[in-house]
Amino acid sequence: MNRFIYQININFKRIILRNKRFFLFDMMLPIVFYLLYSKVLVTGIPQTDLKTWQMNYLISMIIYSCLLGSIITVANTLLEDKTSHFDILSQLTPLPRWQYYLSRILIFLLLNLISSIGICLVGIFVNNLTLSITTWSLIILITIIGTVPLIFIGILISLANNPATVNMLNNLLVFPLAMISGLWWPITMMPKWLQSIGKLTPTFELSNIDQSILHGKIIDNQYVLGIILWLVAIGTTTLLITKYQKYKELDIE
Amino acid sequence: MSTIINVEHLNKNYGQKEILHDLNFKVDHDQIIALIGENGAGKTTLINILLNLISTNSGTVSILDNAKDLKERIGVMMQSNISITRITVKEILKLTQSYYKNPLPYEKLIELANLKKLENSKMNELSGGQKRHLAFALAIAGNPDLLFLDEPTAGMDSQSRTKFWQTISTLKSQHKTIFVTSHYLEELETIADRIMILQNKSIDFDGSIAELRSLEGESMVEFDSELLPDLFKSIPDIIDFKNIGNHYRFTTKNAESLMEKITPYLNAISNLKVQQNSLDSLFVNFNKGDANHE
Repeated sequence: MNRFIYQININFKRIILRNKRFFLFDMMLPIVFYLLYSKVLVTGIPQTDLKTWQMNYLISMIIYSCLLGSIITVANTLLEDKTSHFDILSQLTPLPRWQYYLSRILIFLLLNLISSIGICLVGIFVNNLTLSITTWSLIILITIIGTVPLIFIGILISLANNPATVNMLNNLLVFPLAMISGLWWPITMMPKWLQSIGKLTPTFELSNIDQSILHGKIIDNQYVLGIILWLVAIGTTTLLITKYQKYKELDIE
Repeated sequence: MSTIINVEHLNKNYGQKEILHDLNFKVDHDQIIALIGENGAGKTTLINILLNLISTNSGTVSILDNAKDLKERIGVMMQSNISITRITVKEILKLTQSYYKNPLPYEKLIELANLKKLENSKMNELSGGQKRHLAFALAIAGNPDLLFLDEPTAGMDSQSRTKFWQTISTLKSQHKTIFVTSHYLEELETIADRIMILQNKSIDFDGSIAELRSLEGESMVEFDSELLPDLFKSIPDIIDFKNIGNHYRFTTKNAESLMEKITPYLNAISNLKVQQNSLDSLFVNFNKGDANHE
């Protein structure tokens, strides 16, 4: 166990702590968005609705930050492990493959935790948002757990093994996903057909669970089930592709 | 002595192209085996097969009797360097050590790999030669019984290379088995117990350097002379004869009989040189001989 914690510690420093890209991209971008749309460009919103808007948009930006971290950072980090030959090094050692991925998943969850806390702190100190410790903790905890399917999407994209393809897939997926699941602007502003697609996305489902916690409502089981189904579907696809790639690698150098 | 590597009837194709054909060999404990061959001969493919990174089309490969803790007992220095960002030499070594049950002690590891001064350097800022030292350290981090070294000294300066091969000798004396490929044949010459020449998709020679010398010529004799080449053509045991202008070069199994034969003409000979054939020239001769046989 000590060894596993040591491995997590070193990889945490390497992937998060010393990674300026993480702080700029995964944390600062959603914070800037949040400040812009909750503090600066809020002239049309009545004062009575402003706090609710600031709260709701905070949830959206926490999930947006986790979306960036879980897909773009995960895919790029795992791809970097491959291009730097770190992946092959670990395959030649006794380190089990599942342990390699588990340590990465834990680090990516930590990454999402740090950015979630960062955005919450901005909400508290800049917009004076007040919630009980329990509600803040619950929102963060549920968000972190809910991002596991997104991390699997990042792992799945990294299996493309090619920087250009990985970048293309990241851009094709992350920004449309943020838009249609209502993270940038309310989903009701979109056409009905797009809304029906958006409501099936894991980010929309997670956002709704968090909104329910925020407003003290009962969590709709449909959204919980939706996230579990996403996790099973993407997890199984990732596993199958990994096994297929291993078979192909053994066959073709 | 028990068998460390056992390869039987190994065949490997990439699509329609045959890379390795019916390879058979065994490797015993405490040996340094040098696998040599021209570029593209299939050396790295063979190593990747032994490491189970790629599959065979047919044949069997057994490493350390397919022990359950196989990866604990194998160390690999790949041809390509590992260059990870945002991590120091010390961190990557300690991280790699943490993957093994009985790793080499850290201090011993950096001493063997000559990395003491680079401990706190960032891995991606190392020079090519320094990265080879680090790759070696990563290969021996788990204190392996069997070590694969693919082009280990490529990019190292001459002083580092000398020290590197001294370390390899030390490891051999500690009962390690070492399987090495390199294009620096003069380095392998002094260290290898056994030479395997991979050529034409198969192991064309497998034996000691002394055996290769007896096959391809012990010595090389060179001199300048204005005498006619016909005088030297009937000398026995000549394996290779070259005459360019006034320069003569012989590769022979028996340098003494050659010297006897040319003694009467010593007054007409200058710049006489007699030397033991290097692995480099033995390999060239072997390739040439093989091409002539085809």
